[in-house]
Amino acid sequence: MKRAEVPLWLGLILKQQDRCNIVTPSWLSINFLKKAYQEEVTYTTRFFRMPWNWLEISKMILDKAPDDMTEPPHQIRALIQDLREVRLIKARRGLKELNESYMQLDNLSLMEINELRPMVVGVMDQLRKLQVGTNEDEEVSDEEAPLSYDI
Amino acid sequence: MGYYDLDEILADGQKIPCRFTISVPGLGYLENNPGKPVIQNTKLDLPLWLAEILAICEIQSAQNDPNENPDQTTYFIELIQPDFYSSKIINAIKTNALKIDLHQLLPYFYKLSVKWGSMFNDTELMAIVQEMFKQRACAINDYSSDNNHLQLLNSEFGLQLDETERTLFRQCIESHRDLKNWLSS
Repeated sequence: MKRAEVPLWLGLILKQQDRCNIVTPSWLSINFLKKAYQEEVTYTTRFFRMPWNWLEISKMILDKAPDDMTEPPHQIRALIQDLREVRLIKARRGLKELNESYMQLDNLSLMEINELRPMVVGVMDQLRKLQVGTNEDEEVSDEEAPLSYDI
Repeated sequence: MGYYDLDEILADGQKIPCRFTISVPGLGYLENNPGKPVIQNTKLDLPLWLAEILAICEIQSAQNDPNENPDQTTYFIELIQPDFYSSKIINAIKTNALKIDLHQLLPYFYKLSVKWGSMFNDTELMAIVQEMFKQRACAINDYSSDNNHLQLLNSEFGLQLDETERTLFRQCIESHRDLKNWLSS
């Protein structure tokens, strides 16, 4: 048994062919997730720092390699679900602070931002249009602006 | 804002009240009075695209009167504060933005507000509209995470939305649905 670091897609293929076992990342454990959940509940104004791709990676590992996990997968799945929900509620509360110029999304992960993106971009665009003094000339130069919130 | 944007065209056709500052011969058919002139100070509802132009078109007097104050220019019409910006509605918005039936009031409320704002530079009004949109957008996002998907558009809440909000509502519903589908796939 030799340990090696390979890209996730390769690991999953090898796992499918029964050539390797996947070592679960340290954050994908009951202890860590419980701690993260606790932090989320305790600090209502900021998000706990999770890996940028935590939803995607946990889904792939839970789907493709549940037998490699040292802890019961259904518990992990439930914890992930809880964590996602508590963060979603928090993010929703944060949306009340929307304005036309910028939004801070510290520690939100890729999928979570993705879910909110259509709403956030749509609202910010509309608020910008409603801002007094935005005339047609200015809008041309603003066309490039959406790139900056293309997260 | 495309040239062929249907919503844009419909918003432009929204009628707003104006008052004629001069008498215009032969325009009587606008108030069901064909063949007669429109007299000075008549109040009429004109579509926005027409009113917008007439309100900024200067009239040049035929005879150049040297005594006339050069700074004083006359326009064809004057815009009057429309019903949907009356203090009654504004107060209702301030009280509870979520309870306003925008669709009944004016299906293109925000599109008109944008135009109105750039025409009059009414900072105060625009701040109220922004605040209202923000509050309603949060409600839209909350509603859209329900499971019923696109049926929501025809729920009581969905039917009270302005067209801009309905587009946003549809986008939110689709986004939440897509993520849910992905998570359970």
